Amino acid sequence: MKSPVEKVRLFLALAGLLSIVAVGVIYADLELGYYSSSNLGSIAQPAPMKQPAGAAYKISEFPLYQPELAPGDGRQDVESYCNTCHTPSYITMQPPLPAATWEAEVTKMGKVFGAQIPSESQASILKYLDAHYTPETRKH
Amino acid sequence: MKKEFADTSRRSALKTLGAGSVALALGRFFQSEAFAQQQPSAASRIPTFTGPGANPYWNSVGKIATFPQKAPLIMLTDRPVQLETPRNYFLNPITPNDAFFVRWHLESIPNEIDLSSWRLRVEGNVNNPLELSFPDLLRKFKPITIAAVNQCSGNSRSRFQPRVVGGEWGNGAMGCARWTGVHFREILDMAGVKSGSVQVQMQGLERGKGPQGMPSYEFKKSLDLTDPVLDQCIVAYAMNGEPLPMLNGFPARLIVPGYFATYWMKCLSSVTLLDKPDGNFWMNPGYRVPDTPRGNTNPADVKAGKVKMIPITRMPVRSFIVSPDGETKIPAGLPVTVRGIAFSGSGPITKIEFSDSARGPWRTAKLGEDLGPYAFRAWEIQWTPERPGNCQLAVRATDEKGNVQPDDGVWNPGGYLWNKIERQQVTVGVAE
Repeated sequence: MKSPVEKVRLFLALAGLLSIVAVGVIYADLELGYYSSSNLGSIAQPAPMKQPAGAAYKISEFPLYQPELAPGDGRQDVESYCNTCHTPSYITMQPPLPAATWEAEVTKMGKVFGAQIPSESQASILKYLDAHYTPETRKH
Repeated sequence: MKKEFADTSRRSALKTLGAGSVALALGRFFQSEAFAQQQPSAASRIPTFTGPGANPYWNSVGKIATFPQKAPLIMLTDRPVQLETPRNYFLNPITPNDAFFVRWHLESIPNEIDLSSWRLRVEGNVNNPLELSFPDLLRKFKPITIAAVNQCSGNSRSRFQPRVVGGEWGNGAMGCARWTGVHFREILDMAGVKSGSVQVQMQGLERGKGPQGMPSYEFKKSLDLTDPVLDQCIVAYAMNGEPLPMLNGFPARLIVPGYFATYWMKCLSSVTLLDKPDGNFWMNPGYRVPDTPRGNTNPADVKAGKVKMIPITRMPVRSFIVSPDGETKIPAGLPVTVRGIAFSGSGPITKIEFSDSARGPWRTAKLGEDLGPYAFRAWEIQWTPERPGNCQLAVRATDEKGNVQPDDGVWNPGGYLWNKIERQQVTVGVAE
């Protein structure tokens, strides 16, 4: 008859051995290429919405996602002015555009859509777009 | 002896595997920031943008995101919200509400509506201005249901060469639903359109942060009162037998069968009869196409001011291969079912043809259930790849008016009216 202490030791030893084998198998799979070691990312599930009584029909707030603007001079102007009416993702969504097209777009935002952007900020926004979002300069 | 060897080798194998893998695991965990940032390697993820060439993917390349009442969809932008429907949903000719694409122009859109105060106002050049409540729509008119395709004017804009500015949609800015509501004409008749009226203007609840009177503040669209499409229009309060999702226009939106989605006003709140044509930005110069065959032109002619532009209206004939999508390698000799959808803004689809090579020949595909002249028409065809290699599958549709999809793209400054024959490359593998 084994003592309780011996039983626990035996159990721990077996559990340890099993977990080592499990980890080994997972990494053997990784090495064989069954699983990728890179993580593609995942999205959180929104919680179900509790509905108010009465005639109000409500859904959760619309989520905001982080725009991935290139770091650099002028980014702050983009974030403060362009961001007023729309997410700066409108910029990153575009294909690489020639400098003249960006200039026409920024001008249109002011003249046609009524964006109030001081001329020095407009220049800094254009410089930023040319530095990161033309066919010659766009990296990501 | 034999047993001892087996034991030793098993033990040493386990030891090596165990120690090795633990070291590997710890090493990987501590060494790589990738684990913390959850960044995939460049090779395993879709690029973050396409261009200056055409987008080679079926859908746009945005990230997958979740929004209220919506399945995970492909996000173009989050403010205003623009979401694209992934390809697989088009295996069914009715698009589920939670997968239906979303496109707003301005950022202030409702996420709460009180039906006790919501009204559809009909005003302007009318004899009896109306304020219809939601129960009025349900009770005072005869309900009608119609299946119709709602497609963004800029669907497939990312195919354009040279690329144009705008929402860089792949093919998923479209959907087909069964819309239930009331004839728009009945509402107009109830209000009594005064003579001298030329257009009917629609507006919904969306607003923007721009100054009043600017297109960044409000979005309005108008239809000519002489346009026969008005007889087909309905004010829909149900979508596939359910309330409309808020992002698709709860509590009611305009349905304009055969026309691009720009006229299908969401969260409809006001209808105004005009005695002169609507000159607001979203009618002119917004949403205009060249007055040329297929709306085709080129950048030089536009720059030279040679191109007359007219409002966009009906959707050209289109068809899509939904499956196979190129993700699966097909063994030579295995019969597979090629499936997809087709539609046209100019009457029912009469023929769908399929080819498994760039040179043809074309074979006629089997049409699925007829859900009406404005709906997606499902199609399928049995196809057995004979030889290993790459195959270019192609589909082209013909509508009742005899319009056939061309093998050329189109170009116009708005990025509208794309309807080139769709092709899908599949890899056929060796099976013996």
